[in-house]
Amino acid sequence: MQLEIKDLSKTYSNGVRALKSVSLTIPQGMFGLLGPNGAGKSSLMRTIATLQEADSGSARLTGLPEGDLDVLTQKDAVRRVLGYLPQEFGVYPRVTAEAMLDHIASLKGIANSRERKEIVQGLLQKVNLYDVRKKNLGTYSGGMKQRFGIAQALIGTPRLIIVDEPTAGLDPAERNRFHNLLSEIGENTIVILSTHIVEDVTNLCSDMAIICLGEVVATGNPNDLVKDLTGKIWQKFVEKTEIDTYRKTHRVISTQLKGGKTRIHAYSDVPLADFDPVSPDLEDLYFAKITEKMEVTTV
Amino acid sequence: MFLEIFKFELAYRLKRPATYLYALILFLFTFLFVIYGNGPASEKTNINSPYAISQFVVVMTIFGMLVASAIMGVPIYRDIEHNTKNYYFSFPITERGYVLGRYFGSFVVLLGIMAVGMLGIVIGSLLGPIFNLADNTERFGPIRFRDYAYPFLLFVVPNMFLVGSIFFGLVAFSKQVFTTYAGSILLFIAYLLGSTLSQDLENKQLVNLLDPFGSYAYDTATKYWSPVEQNTLLAPLEGDLLTNRLIWFGVALLVFAFSVLRFSFPRFLAIKLGKKAKDEVESEKAPALASLPTPTPVFQVGAYVRQMFQQAGLEFRSIVRDPYFIAILLGAVLFLFLDGWFASETYGTPSLPTTYAMLEARNGTFFFFVLIVLIFYTGEVVHRDKVVHYDTIADALPVPDWMNYGAKLLSMTYVCLLLSTLIMVSGVLNQTIKGYFNYEFSLYFRDIYGIAFTQYFQLVMLAFFVHTMVNQKFVGHIVTLATYIVIWAVPQFAEFNYRLAIPFSGGTVQISDMNGFGHYLTALASFRLYWYAFGGMLLVLALWFWNRGADTAFKSRWQLAKQRMGRLSMVLFALALVVFVSMGAWIYTNVSVKNHYLSADQQRELQSTFEKKYHKYVDVLQPKITSAKLNVDVFPDEFKAVASGVFMIVNKGHQPIDSLHLTMPADNFHRQLSKFLIDGQAPKMILDDSDLGYYIYRLPKRMNPGDTAQMDMTVTGQYVGFSNAGDSRDVVSNGTFFNVGIFPGFGYDAGQELSSDKYRKKYSLPIKEWTAPAQTDSLGLRDFLFTDDADWVTFEGTISTTPDQTAIMPGQLLKTWTANGSDGKPRKYFQYKLPGFSDYFFSMCSARYGVKRDTWTGPDGKKVALEVYHHPGHDRNLDRFMASMKASLSYYTKNYAPFPYPVLRVLEFPRYASFAQSFPTTVPYSEEFGWVGDFHDPNKTDYAYYVTAHEVAHQWWGHQIMPSRTRGANQISETMAEYSALMVLKQRYGADAMPKFLKYSLDRYLRGRANEDKFEANMLDNDTRSYVWYQKGSMLMYALQDYIGEDRVNQAMNDYMKAARFRQKAPFTTSLEWYSFLKAATPDSLKPWLTDNFEKLTLYDNRITKAEAKSIGNGKYSVKLYIRTATEYYDKTGKELAKGKGPVIADIAVLTDDGKNKDGLTTKVPLLMQKRSLSPGEHIIEVTVKGKPVKAGIDPYNKLIDRVSDDNLVKVDVL
Repeated sequence: MQLEIKDLSKTYSNGVRALKSVSLTIPQGMFGLLGPNGAGKSSLMRTIATLQEADSGSARLTGLPEGDLDVLTQKDAVRRVLGYLPQEFGVYPRVTAEAMLDHIASLKGIANSRERKEIVQGLLQKVNLYDVRKKNLGTYSGGMKQRFGIAQALIGTPRLIIVDEPTAGLDPAERNRFHNLLSEIGENTIVILSTHIVEDVTNLCSDMAIICLGEVVATGNPNDLVKDLTGKIWQKFVEKTEIDTYRKTHRVISTQLKGGKTRIHAYSDVPLADFDPVSPDLEDLYFAKITEKMEVTTV
Repeated sequence: MFLEIFKFELAYRLKRPATYLYALILFLFTFLFVIYGNGPASEKTNINSPYAISQFVVVMTIFGMLVASAIMGVPIYRDIEHNTKNYYFSFPITERGYVLGRYFGSFVVLLGIMAVGMLGIVIGSLLGPIFNLADNTERFGPIRFRDYAYPFLLFVVPNMFLVGSIFFGLVAFSKQVFTTYAGSILLFIAYLLGSTLSQDLENKQLVNLLDPFGSYAYDTATKYWSPVEQNTLLAPLEGDLLTNRLIWFGVALLVFAFSVLRFSFPRFLAIKLGKKAKDEVESEKAPALASLPTPTPVFQVGAYVRQMFQQAGLEFRSIVRDPYFIAILLGAVLFLFLDGWFASETYGTPSLPTTYAMLEARNGTFFFFVLIVLIFYTGEVVHRDKVVHYDTIADALPVPDWMNYGAKLLSMTYVCLLLSTLIMVSGVLNQTIKGYFNYEFSLYFRDIYGIAFTQYFQLVMLAFFVHTMVNQKFVGHIVTLATYIVIWAVPQFAEFNYRLAIPFSGGTVQISDMNGFGHYLTALASFRLYWYAFGGMLLVLALWFWNRGADTAFKSRWQLAKQRMGRLSMVLFALALVVFVSMGAWIYTNVSVKNHYLSADQQRELQSTFEKKYHKYVDVLQPKITSAKLNVDVFPDEFKAVASGVFMIVNKGHQPIDSLHLTMPADNFHRQLSKFLIDGQAPKMILDDSDLGYYIYRLPKRMNPGDTAQMDMTVTGQYVGFSNAGDSRDVVSNGTFFNVGIFPGFGYDAGQELSSDKYRKKYSLPIKEWTAPAQTDSLGLRDFLFTDDADWVTFEGTISTTPDQTAIMPGQLLKTWTANGSDGKPRKYFQYKLPGFSDYFFSMCSARYGVKRDTWTGPDGKKVALEVYHHPGHDRNLDRFMASMKASLSYYTKNYAPFPYPVLRVLEFPRYASFAQSFPTTVPYSEEFGWVGDFHDPNKTDYAYYVTAHEVAHQWWGHQIMPSRTRGANQISETMAEYSALMVLKQRYGADAMPKFLKYSLDRYLRGRANEDKFEANMLDNDTRSYVWYQKGSMLMYALQDYIGEDRVNQAMNDYMKAARFRQKAPFTTSLEWYSFLKAATPDSLKPWLTDNFEKLTLYDNRITKAEAKSIGNGKYSVKLYIRTATEYYDKTGKELAKGKGPVIADIAVLTDDGKNKDGLTTKVPLLMQKRSLSPGEHIIEVTVKGKPVKAGIDPYNKLIDRVSDDNLVKVDVL
């Protein structure tokens, strides 16, 4: 089973081109989608989650037992295998978590109330909301609400799971727990994890893509992609005032404060004078790809 | 500091679109109201008279309260809402500066919005004459700055200051906007309670002071102004109005000072504790994800339907748990309850809480709450997912669009069901508390679910459609509201009532105990089906454009809509369209083809055309009927009546008659003259104008003076289908009531002409000052007042109906039998005959009646059979009717003349009209008028007794004395009936119980005069004004018998009876003849009083300013009264002409505490009551009384027509 996206384009009514001929093949397993804010990640996610029309292109879910699905037109069928955690979402404030999950479970086609109850209870425990399940959702804190969102996305053993910025607002312990939960998801499921936290991808994903300004700038296995950068990333500690000078002469992909000085990473196929070689990581890959498209200033 | 915050607030407000929206709504409201010429009741008062502007502005401030709650509630709440309070208050600002700046910034904007509302009046008055939508450009007077500045300062500023401070303070302390809503509801309740209390004249002053808006005080200060005064005066700032303004401005200052002085940042910032769910500590008992069951999901229609109901339940619970919703609902129930509690009072006397009265309470203030709930909560439901951001989850769930859509619609259905059910809950509660246990649950259910619910839901369909298409909550609210206004308000402003073209209209039903839902149901069901089909189309459209997903651009919604236009929804849409079109055709056929719809304008135009074409025949001599033998068949189930008559006609004039002019207006009763013979021959028709209902026939043989002929007529009338209004049915399933007017009348009737100056000008007809000719007019004198078709006639007739009903005509029942009708079905026949003569005025009634019988025996031993025909179940007050009939017969027989008939009966007809009417021997009486009155409180007017006495008096005044068709003649009939009823009432309840009644009469006379459309006429000339013949007449006759003695008046009337009773030949009697008897009975000392009151327009201004008493031992007191008297003469337009120079003769009275008479009725107890003749001006009068003086004054019983009746009594200061 895989998700094949071809030449997907979308322009909003205000003229913003959110997706420019995006093509991606997403296999089973955890797939990371990296990109800066406004890159088009959420647009892509929403399109796959049937919430948005595309102007052109196609998206197909192939290899399902019930046959291939056209994501753009067979919305109902896609929704039946979908688990979606949007980047921003809300709840009915005057309904309890348990009642709401039960309701969503029934909307996902789980007709048997005993099974539904078992699933809801189990998921509430998984996301650590069991003890507050009788409280109205309006009284939940941000983190609790996010966990509720995760629980609802997992109802009904979906085979296509889309999680958009899932760890935003979670504290480190909660984030770990979420990672563990994702890792429990079965092998034969596509999980698309959209994030701008590089570490999440490093920890979890076997495949990934980087998108920027509505275009895919890199795709593949994270390790392979990083490997390609070997010998091309160089670092140097400089004074803060010198950064601009270096930007003019080198292709600086990132700058970072470290112990009072600024460390800059630059990309070059050949060694740079005064720079030290450094073994690249996913973050370097991310910045290298992004800076091909746009100016990034990280201080 | 203050200035910066003030300026910021002002700038912020001026940038908000809502500010302009409020101003625009107020502007449109006042502008449309004025430009369409809505305004004071009298046609002679300018639409923009200072009186009208002030009154309008007061009402505007009451509605302005809603704007105030939106504006004054939020300026500090904004910092809570947007969470800016946490850092805003860390800026170097002072609390005082912050609060005052925010307050006055908003307050200035609020005043500005109200000023824009007033600007609407100005622009409306400027454009009014140009657009001429008001039919009368002369009613737009000059625009004067002071007319606007005065109410602005007197009402707008203080009222807005008051409500603004209250709302501001409520938010400052509660930190919840919700409280402003509760506050405005409370203020509104206070205002409406005032309206309820003020119905009782005794509470007037209390209400004047308690009303925070000053509306009642203003009304009291101006209510008796004549049109001339309304056009020129501003309400003087004195009395209750001044006190009211001072009180409430003071209250406003206190509230303001309290909210501003007590405001402190720390309190405002304090976090409300509690309620938050506490996050739990780590628990490690979670099962593995893989261990959870993985059932095969079910995606079937059945499952979707179940989900829909589940989702609807969830939505519904979200609504009913919303505190705002609960608050609105509580307000709604409160008003429902109050409107039910005070339902349908007549003469201040409550009616029984019948189920229909409880049901009708829903048409009151409750309906506004329903509108609010439906608009706002439809918006909530439609936009809920988006507003709480749940849409991103919900829209990706594997359910079809219709599931979520249907669930939301369903949840609003529940809301409608809830609202409808409340009507019954409140009704049953009302009935139970009042000890009325005749709950008609079947009626409740049919009405609230069949009519109320279906009405509410069609509003939901519209709101649902608008909210879906607009797809923005706030804009949706505004657009929905605007749609509602266009649909309901504009037709009212513009007199447009064609229901086929007013979306979602057609819901009026009048329930009658006698006739149930009657004939209204077919029309109602047809209109419902028609508009539901329309609503169905809207709903399918809304489904297609239902917003699902993140993309709200129109392009994407259109893309989605195209995908959704599946076969099923297309079929549904087409089906709805077919039903809509065919129901439209069906309704059109009924309203405009089978029946004849006329707009109000067309109706008036028809009247004017009729006058222009046929007024020339007004004096054409026609024969008079001398005997009538009728044969009437009533078919209640077919809404049909067939009336045949054999009439003898005579030429009583001095010229020959060649042709007969018949008038029979075309109306929805579809009358057809199927047989018309003169002496057995069909006369030749020479004019056939069926549109206007005017026909001329040539007589087969010319009738010379004195010639007689026999006329045979058969008229068939039937209601077919339903009409636009759907009401006014004379023949109904149970409770038929029509009269001899079913037959065509002779000749042109000038009484049917347009009389309003405004419309006569519009249709270029000459202004018509009088409807009746002068007392000396020979043509007027030859006719009876109520019909010119006949003088005295002999009458007999047979009336038939279905076997389960009783049919009644005037006269003695001779026999009754059952036989088959022409259609072969069994019918019941009743034969009646009137002995002697009567006027040509006969009622025809048929219903399933119960009857109570009794006999009255006259002093000469003559017996009169008394009968009360009533709806079975309406039997509580039968004894009152019976007792009043007996007392009336005794009084009138003794004082006026014998009763000429062997029977007298009262009977009930459905409440489609609310009057009682006296036919010879027979008085039909509306269902609403006494039968369901609740007379258990002796202090409430026993109007069943009173009105019966009035109607029985017409058996003398109007049936034995028949006035001529001349000016002032109706005073002989109505004033004398009023006088007679007052005497019977006085005999029953005592003279000291009368003041309350007189005060009501005085109030109504003065109001009637203030609302006069043409000019006021005196007692001898008045031809059309009912406030003269009822209220002024009853006041004057009561005073006359008090001044010269009851016996003397009765003797005079006895003499008049002898002279004029059953007068056989013209000239018939006039007001002048009647007056001559009164005059002859009046001693010279009182002749000036008689002249002033009967021949002129005279008001008194008597008052007492102070009363002091001193004990002189032995339980005696010497009382000193400081009195002022004045007589004022007015011209007919209401302008003061001169002050009287002669003495005022009035009662000087000292009263002790009120007492109770044998019936438990509260009465005044005079220690001294003495007539004095006082020259105009100030007097100090000293009297001695035995007993403790409590109140003292001049004319305490309001026998004289006093402009200000409240200053006639004061409390006595005992020194």
